[in-house]
Amino acid sequence: MKTRLNLLRNRETLLGITILVLLVVISLLSPSFMTYTNIVNLLKSFTVLGIFSLGVILVIISGGVDVSFTAIAQVVQYAVVYLFLNNMQGNVFLAFVLAIIMGTLMGLFNGYLIHRYKMPAIIITIATQNLFYGLMYVITKGQLIYVIPEYFWKISNTMLFKQVAPNGAVSGLSLTTVIWFALALVVALLLKFTVLGRSIYMMGGNPVAAQRIGVNSRNTTLFVYGSMGAIAGIGGIVHVSIVQTVIPNSIVGQELQVIAAVILGGASITGGKGSVLGTLLGVLLFAILSNSLTLLQISSYWYNVFTGFIILLSVFLNAMQEIQQQKQKIRVNVEAAS
Amino acid sequence: MVDISKMMKRARKGEQFSLVVTLIVVFLLLWLLNGTRFVTIRNLRSMSYQLPIIGFLAIGMMISELSGGINLSLIANANLNGVVIYLVLNAITGGSMGDANIAQVVIAILAGFGVSTIVGLVNGLLIAKLNIPAILTTLGTMTLIQGISLVLTKGYTISGFPNSLIFLGNGSVLGIPMPIIVFIIVVIIAHFILNKSAFGVRLYMTGANRTACRYSNVNTTKVIVWEYILSAWFASVTSLIMIGQLNSVKANYAESYLLVAVLASFLGGVDPNGGFGKLSGMILAAVILQLISSGLNLLRLDPFMITAMWGAIIIILLLGRDIMNQIGKLFSKRRVRT
Repeated sequence: MKTRLNLLRNRETLLGITILVLLVVISLLSPSFMTYTNIVNLLKSFTVLGIFSLGVILVIISGGVDVSFTAIAQVVQYAVVYLFLNNMQGNVFLAFVLAIIMGTLMGLFNGYLIHRYKMPAIIITIATQNLFYGLMYVITKGQLIYVIPEYFWKISNTMLFKQVAPNGAVSGLSLTTVIWFALALVVALLLKFTVLGRSIYMMGGNPVAAQRIGVNSRNTTLFVYGSMGAIAGIGGIVHVSIVQTVIPNSIVGQELQVIAAVILGGASITGGKGSVLGTLLGVLLFAILSNSLTLLQISSYWYNVFTGFIILLSVFLNAMQEIQQQKQKIRVNVEAAS
Repeated sequence: MVDISKMMKRARKGEQFSLVVTLIVVFLLLWLLNGTRFVTIRNLRSMSYQLPIIGFLAIGMMISELSGGINLSLIANANLNGVVIYLVLNAITGGSMGDANIAQVVIAILAGFGVSTIVGLVNGLLIAKLNIPAILTTLGTMTLIQGISLVLTKGYTISGFPNSLIFLGNGSVLGIPMPIIVFIIVVIIAHFILNKSAFGVRLYMTGANRTACRYSNVNTTKVIVWEYILSAWFASVTSLIMIGQLNSVKANYAESYLLVAVLASFLGGVDPNGGFGKLSGMILAAVILQLISSGLNLLRLDPFMITAMWGAIIIILLLGRDIMNQIGKLFSKRRVRT
């Protein structure tokens, strides 16, 4: 009984165990799953989702939501690639710096509107998503960019921990995945060991109490949404390096999947709860499950049903967790009284 | 005492007043931009056919927001309703939907309402009993329903509905468009339910202070469940009008209308924390948004420019309302001083 309570209390443990069990089951059913090639490829295909989820976890912990990050990523991607093709001599470092600056500016726009005018974040970010996305299409007329500078796709092709298969194919951990994990480490350290990180949790948990303690809600809001923008920008560059083409509508539409993975990872939509580890595990579980759908050759029409089901399952687990916690509280009181 | 009630009357009129002012400003602006074609009988007729769709969605959204929640699954619900009507009609008539008689159409409509009741039930139970935040629950049900509709229709557009059904959305009686007649009838019924019935009072109270209601012998779970069922029924009515207008049903129609519906409810004066919202505000907001929608279409702008404009318009409208509130506060302060 106590062990079960323990498991339910810690979302990360539950996720970790589920992932391990799934890995065992799937590798029994389909031996080609647990190969090095398949795993690094799976990680690479979900890297962009993983990067986005790091920004989203920051926003959700602070008690807000953001659905404009895909539009920000797309706009930044297009702008940076276009600039480097036509006007500037660039390199990888410059690309990321430019992406971060542009993304941060757009994110700060969100944050300013949300804080200054106290409008619901969901509406503001839907509005800015439409605004950014629409303007980009109007300016670019929806043209694809087929040829991108070499150093862009070198990012994703650079591999660490290479392995050569018997047929000569080389596979290894892509640099983009390393970027994802490095970013995850940065965000985790920020949340756990800095005052700013603590402020984000406080603001999400109880905004009024946070303000009374002295948390500067304006700066924290601006930081959170600005970081979301910066991370979205990074995600945009990583995306173009993996896909190697700029397709104007390739990123928008994934918002729900990112949010589903983050909620699966244990974040509470009302704020104040969540962790980077949980988010990472949530994305991994999401990746494994959707990879299984593909392996089982289930029609892509079921994908939406799958995502919706994941969201409902996650919120159900969240709710069960909270009910367990409430019950525990009552139990403690009774014990103290007697 | 008389002074206070007079002041309160003025304040209430002030809320609708700002909406009426916005309406007049928007109308004049669009007239200016579009020229005389904006005020032709043809345009006004076409707007009055489409207005009830936005109107029903706005009211359905408002109902779910009265308890502090939201219903993102409204449009998906409407689409599913259409799909269900198609399936039932197809099954009853053995494949020749277009020749269905009135009795069969009524059965199909009732089936649609039945499915919507289930959706509302699921939403309400998850939100009320498990305390899951409404935004997440309805996000999950929305994705789930979208997926189900997609699987049922395989992405195809389905058409060939019987004339008796199409008449609801496309016909006219004595020159008055049928959708408007349906709208007026439904609004009168909604007025009675929300403002003149015990349920309505309980609903508003639950939104204002749920705990106080529980202590006052209001079964808040039942209230919230019925609230979401009512909201889902509005989605059903919307679907009937949509079928009439488009003579077809698709899994992802009107997805952009979700933003419009949420915007209409906030514009119309619903408090996101619950407990406040008037039907008259919804109707005014729906008219404003319909004017904008038709006006933008008439300008023959690039569709993506329209998307961007909607984003900008939302921000401007919410900013404008904030500014008008500030002005209103200034005036009321002066009154208190004298």
